[in-house]
Amino acid sequence: MSPFRATPAGYVARWEPVEREVLARVARDVAGLLRSDAGLPDDVTDTGLAFTGVARVPRDPAVQRLLPDAHRDDADVAAEFRHLTQTDLAASKVARLLAFAETVDGTGDGADGGPDDAFSGGQVLVAREAAQDFAGALTDVRLVLGERLGLDDDADVEHLHHEVLTGLGIVDEADGADPDETDGAGLDAEQRSYWGGVFVAAGFAQESLMDEMLAELRARGARD
Amino acid sequence: MTSSATQEDTRTEEVSRLADPWVTIVWNDPVNLMSYVAYVFESYFGYPEAKAKKLMLQVHHEGRAVVSTGPRERMEVDVQAMHGFGLWATLQQSGAPGAGVQA
Repeated sequence: MSPFRATPAGYVARWEPVEREVLARVARDVAGLLRSDAGLPDDVTDTGLAFTGVARVPRDPAVQRLLPDAHRDDADVAAEFRHLTQTDLAASKVARLLAFAETVDGTGDGADGGPDDAFSGGQVLVAREAAQDFAGALTDVRLVLGERLGLDDDADVEHLHHEVLTGLGIVDEADGADPDETDGAGLDAEQRSYWGGVFVAAGFAQESLMDEMLAELRARGARD
Repeated sequence: MTSSATQEDTRTEEVSRLADPWVTIVWNDPVNLMSYVAYVFESYFGYPEAKAKKLMLQVHHEGRAVVSTGPRERMEVDVQAMHGFGLWATLQQSGAPGAGVQA
């Protein structure tokens, strides 16, 4: 995976086939999780039509993080806010997660063939007008993975980065992680290593994208 | 904001304080990138780089920051937008405990 770089066509990175496949799949999984746990009907994002359903509090803690309470102490304010906003919010998140997946692996309606036809050279091109949604989808993917991995504070995240880089042989194992580490809500070591790698890769992609987007935003601001 | 009459500014400020008793608070989380949070504060609120960075660091180090102030309806819009971006945000009345630090 190479960092995103600003080009005239948009933001461009090179991702390995396995990186595109895995990140597209996890984005579609998160979309499915959101849809079912927020109580969205299957077609809500296809039509874009308003849906008047009952917005229930999500059961899955990862979905709760994507659709959090809007008030800490006043349950009535939180419930009213959820009633008014949750369906729209969840639907827009689902839509941008699916758009992210299509951008990444090209298996959407717009592409004739599989990833190999549409993405020779492994290029991921994010149009400028789609970049904020792409970054938002990466955020939602990372938030769900972070919850699954039990990342509760900055130290947990640093620890995970260390574990992942150690696993790749980039960091010396000697000052590495506690082998008995059992954080991560029931994930075994193999699952933790796998999803940890996906979390770190998604963070690398987002960090490089944000650097470019921020630079362009500030350059535009300076011209105004 | 362009008025040059100090007296009028003061009066307007007082009125808006009475009419704007709600705040939007963004809470720290270990997953969101500092650059992403700065981007959200600069692009959505239109805050200058220095103010966005100050608020972002306040969230990071103090656990939360008040990022906007205004009528409840406006704060609901801001909180919904923050949730859209994936930031953890709440609204509350500005007189409530913990809502003291103004954006």
